[in-house]
Amino acid sequence: MIDMIDGFLLALARRALPSADREWMAGDLEEDFQRLVHTEGRWRARGWLIGESLRNFSRRTSNRPRSFKFKVKSMSWIDLKLGLRMLVKYPGLTLVGGTAMAFAIFIGVVAFTMFSVITSPTLPIKDADRVVRIRSFDVAKNQAEPKQLHDFKVWRDSLRSVTDLGAWQDSSRNLIIPGVETSPIPVAEMSAIGFQVAEGEPHLGRVLTDADADPAAAPVVVIGYEIWKTRFGSDPSVIGKTVQLGDDHPVVVGVMREGFEFPVAHDAWVPLRLQLLDAAPRGGRATSVFGRLAPGQTVDTARAELNTIAKSLARDLPLTHQHLEPRVAGYADPDQMGTDDSAFLYAIYFFLTALLTLICGNVGLLIFARAASRESDLIVRTALGAGRSRIVWQLFTEALVLAVVSAGVGIVAGSFFLRTWGTYFLEVNFGRLPFWIDLAPSMRTIVFAAASTVFGAAVAGVIPAFKLTRGMSDRLKQTSAGSGGAQFGGVWTFIIVAQIAVTMMFPAIVYGERMLLTYTDEFEVGFAAEQFLTARIDKDAGSSPERFARSLNEVQTRLASTSGVTGVAYAQALPATWHPWQRIELQGADGAVTLDYGSLAPVSTSYFEALDSPAIDGRTFTAADVLPGSRVAIVDEAFVEIVLKGRNPIGQRVRFAPKVDGPAPPPEPWYDIVGLVKELGVSSPDQKERAAGLYLPAPPERLAKQYLMVHVPSGDAAAFGPRLREVVTSVDSTLKVSEILRADQVNDDQVWAMSLWVRITSVMSGLAIMLSLAGIYAVLSFTVTRRTREIGVRVALGGSRERVIGAILRRPLIRVAFGVLLGSSMVLAAMFGLRTTEFPGADAPLTVWHFVTLIVYVAVMVVVCSMACIVPAQRALRVEPTVALRAE
Amino acid sequence: MDTIALGEFEQLVLMSIVRLDHEAYGATIRRDIETRTARRLSISAVYTTLDRLEQKGLVRSWVGEPTAERGGRRRKHFAIEAAGARALKTAYRDYMAMATGLERRLKALQ
Repeated sequence: MIDMIDGFLLALARRALPSADREWMAGDLEEDFQRLVHTEGRWRARGWLIGESLRNFSRRTSNRPRSFKFKVKSMSWIDLKLGLRMLVKYPGLTLVGGTAMAFAIFIGVVAFTMFSVITSPTLPIKDADRVVRIRSFDVAKNQAEPKQLHDFKVWRDSLRSVTDLGAWQDSSRNLIIPGVETSPIPVAEMSAIGFQVAEGEPHLGRVLTDADADPAAAPVVVIGYEIWKTRFGSDPSVIGKTVQLGDDHPVVVGVMREGFEFPVAHDAWVPLRLQLLDAAPRGGRATSVFGRLAPGQTVDTARAELNTIAKSLARDLPLTHQHLEPRVAGYADPDQMGTDDSAFLYAIYFFLTALLTLICGNVGLLIFARAASRESDLIVRTALGAGRSRIVWQLFTEALVLAVVSAGVGIVAGSFFLRTWGTYFLEVNFGRLPFWIDLAPSMRTIVFAAASTVFGAAVAGVIPAFKLTRGMSDRLKQTSAGSGGAQFGGVWTFIIVAQIAVTMMFPAIVYGERMLLTYTDEFEVGFAAEQFLTARIDKDAGSSPERFARSLNEVQTRLASTSGVTGVAYAQALPATWHPWQRIELQGADGAVTLDYGSLAPVSTSYFEALDSPAIDGRTFTAADVLPGSRVAIVDEAFVEIVLKGRNPIGQRVRFAPKVDGPAPPPEPWYDIVGLVKELGVSSPDQKERAAGLYLPAPPERLAKQYLMVHVPSGDAAAFGPRLREVVTSVDSTLKVSEILRADQVNDDQVWAMSLWVRITSVMSGLAIMLSLAGIYAVLSFTVTRRTREIGVRVALGGSRERVIGAILRRPLIRVAFGVLLGSSMVLAAMFGLRTTEFPGADAPLTVWHFVTLIVYVAVMVVVCSMACIVPAQRALRVEPTVALRAE
Repeated sequence: MDTIALGEFEQLVLMSIVRLDHEAYGATIRRDIETRTARRLSISAVYTTLDRLEQKGLVRSWVGEPTAERGGRRRKHFAIEAAGARALKTAYRDYMAMATGLERRLKALQ
């Protein structure tokens, strides 16, 4: 299959071919490329194609007149040396332009790596292109069908185009080792063939075999290298030991090699028992299927064969399989992207290109100023016979030298950033990463960085070169060397004005981000959150609901009787995290029904006692409130204010409103509001509006998720973590404890990600200001140099220095004024625009203080931008008429 | 009739055409030479030589049907002409005549 990158490379390769035989040669290239994709892998084939294009291109150019080739080759080296000399001779430009370009490439490398590992990942195993996954898809419901055990058995018995077919089920179980802290680990119940497909060599012992899957076989487990190191202390005699995995007691038969986490991110492997394969059609647990394309087969041929099998299954099992469609794809390929995802991806790449263009455009301005100051050299070169292309080539090479140095810095910084924060950033957003996600710079990243470098150099070097060399021969005729006529035109004026405007925006963005960060960090939850330890409790797939309910209650009882603990409760969502909004109906004292919204917070009956928050009015929940037939609710002060408009809530009745679409179900019974409490974090820091809290009592097992909250008033609540884990596991070895955090730390991930953004935008602001100042400085400097003689003449003829300076500074200052005006208009527009967004506090009224801040900010920016004019202005003031005229 | 002298690469291309017979076209010729001589060739180098051989009347070419494997493009097949066969035989004979007896000395040169 040819993807977008292949198509692009093939198109480039075709362009490098001579036009006479292009059709057959292009066909030969594509044939060879396809063959290499199958034998050597896609990336090697791409490498070959690039090499082939270069060889063909070189052949084409070498067939041109010899003198031309000689000229380009020999002079390029001189250009290169000149470029290096320029770096040293103009350290200011090297520093400013280089930092800016390095930053653009740094951002590009980081974003490209992050998105490419997600959108086009590469499995770190041999013949990765041939490892596939098969998924059933219900086309009628437009969703994947994960229960495919039955179909797996059919595919395994009949499929010829895919061999080594295996299946796995995901589960997470407590690994219980005496003396070691218990915590759940991701376990794969997997066919033994998985170890062969993913090149799973054991570090110790053996991998699973088909015999282990026999129902009569003794339970065994293979553990991962990390688990072996951290939980078993790298014990070499671990093989043969019995461990407790949830309720099971398997024998450890192997330790896998370091880095082996197949099928996704797993730490232990147990056999997928054969009796599971007798599942009913679309029955059993969620199962994933993998395999390897047979020699000579492709994804397309496998798809065709699977479709044939699917048709036969649909005939035999019309009730379950009529709308099922098996889909085969590369193992690590992301799910098919929707239009929105593709649009998002293209938007990211567009943003990166725009950022690079903008920054390199600015560097181009500096290079233009530098080149213009050497205009006499260029005129002499033209006089000696250098054509326009030669001058353009020279300036491009100078920019390329700067870009290459910057790219080196950008790549190193990007790699460091990815290694230090990249994985953590992705894990905060997506959870533990699959084993194929590797953020080390790959060949793809290097190619991307190289392409960005050449593109950046083209923008920074070629545009100024074309502008500078336009009409060069005319200038050669009209003027003598040393008094050329290059001018800053509309393009640079536009760039400077736009740059100052953008510069104005950045600090404003940082200011907004900091406000949001502070708001999130200091979000008030209404109780002493630092005294509470929270944890998520999950049920093991094999455990019964009755056992789960018993265990949750027992955990609560045991923890409550533990010394140092003054309260224990369960909640469906933790305070200061998002609570779902529900459309509700409210019945007032007069019987009238009104519609509104409330944030739903199902909690256990001990919740308010545990939080040490007694009712302000009415009562809190009691054990009787969860008995059948009882329907009571408690609301918070925000509910009274927002929904009840200040009315007394006690005695009012509330119920969920029927869904807007579809036939209306019979109305459900009312809940009586029996209590009022203060606001206890039903709102979250990322919500724009204050949430109206509606609490409903529920037994712990009936909550959609079980978050445990333990009140430990003395000492550090976090120190209670190991004890909490111990109590929970001693009650029931199948209860899985995770996300143990203090209640005031539940949004720390969000705070971390936000502060990372603040840092990045702060650096961007600094760079934008630096580039703006350098741009203004370069333009003014250029103007003073260009007009030195004129200044000398004016002063010699008695012109006052103030008037002379005024004439020189007028145009740059007008540009600064325009930029600041445009920038402040944008900030003002953003201030009003923000009010329509979902950011918390965005709808707060704009006060006089906001406008005063803006005016002060504008004044500061004018002063800062004008500072760039000081040095060139002083230079103009120092011009001595005699010296200026003698120099001419 | 005078035979045409062949360059070294021309000889390799002609030998490949003879070996591949009906399957001789750009991609297969290149692969054949690359596999046997462990050289890396560009496709345009192969076609430049094939064009030259055709101009000299040593090979003839014809265009085949398009195939999906090649992105819907056609193949240009090549076959050796009588003059080409004569030139190749002569080159081979000359080469063998010169190489005979040199094996031991060539080894000694290493």
